[in-house]
Amino acid sequence: MVKPDRSDTSASDIVVELSGVCKTFRQKQRSERLRDVFRNLFRPTVREVHALRNIDLRIHRGEIVAYAGPNGAGKSTTVKILSSLLVPDAGTARVLGMNTARDRIRYVGRIGVVFGQRTELWWDQPVAASFEWKRVVWDIPRDRYNRMLDFVKELMGLGEFFNSLTRELSLGQRMRADLGLVLMHEPEILFLDEPTIGVDVLAKRNILEFIKDLNRERHVTVMLTSHDMSELEQIAGRIVMINRGQIAFDGDFNRLRREFGARRRLLIETADRSPPDLKGADLIKSEAGRHEYIFDASQVKIPALLEQASIQAQILDVETHQASIDDVIADIYEKWQK
Amino acid sequence: MRVNTLHKYWKTTAIAAAEYVGNNLLFLMDYLLRFLRVTVLLSIWRVILASKGEVSGMTLESVLTYTLISEVFSQQLAPRVRLDVAIWEGSIATRFLRPIGIFGQFTAEMVGRWIFGFCIFSLPLLLVAPILGVNPLPVSVEAAGLFVFSLALAISVGLALEFAYGALMVALEHNLYTLDMVRNAIGMVLSGALLPLALLPWGLGEIFAWLPFASMASAPLQIYTGTGDPFWLVSVQFGWSIILWPLAYGLWRKYREKLVSHGG
Amino acid sequence: MDSGVHQFKSSPAFYLLRIFKLWYIHAYMDLMWVTRDLRNCLIYYLSDVILNIAGVTGTLLLAERFEGIGSWTKFQVVFMLGYGIVASGIVYTFFGYNISHISRRLGRGQLDHTLIQPQPIWMCLLTEGFNPFSSSAIPISGLGLMVWAGAKLSLTLSPGWLAMIALNLVASSAIMLSFSFLWGSLAFWAPRGAEEINSSTNRLMDGLRPFPLDGVAPVLLSSMLTVFPIGFVAWYPCRYLLGLDPRAWGGCITPVAAVIFVALTAFFFMRGLKHYGQTGSQRYLSFGHRR
Repeated sequence: MVKPDRSDTSASDIVVELSGVCKTFRQKQRSERLRDVFRNLFRPTVREVHALRNIDLRIHRGEIVAYAGPNGAGKSTTVKILSSLLVPDAGTARVLGMNTARDRIRYVGRIGVVFGQRTELWWDQPVAASFEWKRVVWDIPRDRYNRMLDFVKELMGLGEFFNSLTRELSLGQRMRADLGLVLMHEPEILFLDEPTIGVDVLAKRNILEFIKDLNRERHVTVMLTSHDMSELEQIAGRIVMINRGQIAFDGDFNRLRREFGARRRLLIETADRSPPDLKGADLIKSEAGRHEYIFDASQVKIPALLEQASIQAQILDVETHQASIDDVIADIYEKWQK
Repeated sequence: MRVNTLHKYWKTTAIAAAEYVGNNLLFLMDYLLRFLRVTVLLSIWRVILASKGEVSGMTLESVLTYTLISEVFSQQLAPRVRLDVAIWEGSIATRFLRPIGIFGQFTAEMVGRWIFGFCIFSLPLLLVAPILGVNPLPVSVEAAGLFVFSLALAISVGLALEFAYGALMVALEHNLYTLDMVRNAIGMVLSGALLPLALLPWGLGEIFAWLPFASMASAPLQIYTGTGDPFWLVSVQFGWSIILWPLAYGLWRKYREKLVSHGG
Repeated sequence: MDSGVHQFKSSPAFYLLRIFKLWYIHAYMDLMWVTRDLRNCLIYYLSDVILNIAGVTGTLLLAERFEGIGSWTKFQVVFMLGYGIVASGIVYTFFGYNISHISRRLGRGQLDHTLIQPQPIWMCLLTEGFNPFSSSAIPISGLGLMVWAGAKLSLTLSPGWLAMIALNLVASSAIMLSFSFLWGSLAFWAPRGAEEINSSTNRLMDGLRPFPLDGVAPVLLSSMLTVFPIGFVAWYPCRYLLGLDPRAWGGCITPVAAVIFVALTAFFFMRGLKHYGQTGSQRYLSFGHRR
């Protein structure tokens, strides 16, 4: 496990603090055969899934933290614990100085949670009705509500569909409305679980800009999960990666690249259509004399590869690229699987 | 039908059966509650018909048998393919992507859901009937044979109605859930599954007997208890089958596009 | 001043005010929903009336055919049917949106939506399902039956009798809701297996509620006043209200039973909530959430 970047922090500005948090679920295993249905019923095999193992995590006020990991790594369980929906089996979860498992009502009044796959909007009502409902349930004073409503309507562009039924919104519009709704009570910290899932690139860009603005102007602390790594890199200053219930990396994206992302791409254009065979690099694409390779820059140097290529073919052009963050992460996940 | 095709339907039936059983014994609660319901209904009939002798050709004994058999075959007398759920969820579209007939796969799943209900509830209920003071046997061996035939026709009429209804509701863009509840409630009275049609006042039973609902439940139950003319009952069932299936096919062809785009 | 505000926020008056505020917003949203288009509105009301009348038609027809059921006259049966519809109407009016069908909310993992609201869970459950406009057809159709039967039975409407009927109606509704919650709480432990358990309990309730239970075997009858308290939904209170139960204190039995059932329900539901905090829900279905 890689140690976090920041070990020395003042306690006062820490808004999220997980200490030794563990969570285990029991999952029944079942045979797929019809003749086993009664065995499945009476004597199923039970598997223990250790969703979180001894998680220690601190987030400072005003930070935007990306929380990433492969499917089933424990991201959603962490968000659920931080949202007070689940109680840890061991360890403590404190957010804004409060124990998330106790004093739920006061606590959820200070945080905002968005689950990308769910909606807090009332399905058969105009968007406006859900906002009015929120005002009453969250006990938001009228003047503050009006001020926030103007703010989120303008920022999220809710005006065009504010009086449409939720069921008639596109996914992007629904997500914008959900994000607008979660801000109405001015939460100090936002937990966003895959907030851009399924939305188009433009809507995604708008949502990310919005989160950044919110963080910059209102100092809202944000913790978000996503499978889109370039999106996380655009927005977050820090990435925490979880694997099999344990924190496997905690630091910034540059450090992540340095430690895990030594892979680079090499693009060579040759006079001959057949690609040169380069030791230490894998050919991933070859088309009309343009050949793309991927290689580990910590093991093989570019001049050495070019030397090999020039022996085999006449080189017309050369380009090299740093591997995209998605490639880096995919490599990390692959490594973890082994 | 080729063996390979039959195998596909059987696999669908098997997976639906396994899914229906669920992951713990709580699914058995439904059967416990149904058992309670039928025993209370039998008790109520005893109160209603006490010292009344034969009423409209039905004795207390035949009414008790009628009520018990109605509960034993309740799934078959009101077949449900859960079309409403598939349409509401929008999962109906993916059904068209499977290389088997659309009506066939819904029916195969329904049969899968029947299997355990029949083994766990219907057969035991038949066996404990004498303890409940009810004669579970058909009125004669011939009646038993005719009942099987009539039950098959009842399922056929029920399924045709189910498919026609589903397509029609989508076409009319109505709230499926509410209308489904209404259909269940009305169907329960009109089909004779709850009360033998012969016991209804003002000659209503004679009118209801001509409706397709009566072909779904009243007809086989009357044959079983020997309280109706089998030839006439089976003829009406047959007639409704011939009318309703082409109607169901026609509606599905006509509204196929709307069905697929509904809800998803 | 701050401590004054804090004191008010924990006083019964604050909670009461808040409940009315929440009922108001949900009633408003319900009105918006039901009036969203004319055709749906008409179909909805018509369906509700048909559904409720159809549910009791079998018993009505039997009562007509045999001039009553057992020791109950035809119009006594009609009064009981109306009472049962009003009691269930109260439940549907205050606890719609799958609140009275709680096994679905729990089984589908939808409790999370409630838990992230900054108010007590009981307050969410008490107010979120309030739909007085879309459910109004139910109690009105039941009330119609009661008034019709009452006129035929020449009932004397004294203030005391009216108070008893109101008290018993509230108690019957509370017992119906408790029955749903008691069995529905099983979904805390078996989300998938028990998701539809309230469909089974409702079927039992709807199937047996319309019958007078006098003469039913004692074992069955006792189960229907305890584990499956369907007897309290209409039959038992109506025996007292129609003078079939001569005991002066007979009218208090249903309210006392309601208190016991509500206490039991609260106990089991809290146990379930504690379990939910440990395990959460491993499944989530948006299906039916706030629809």
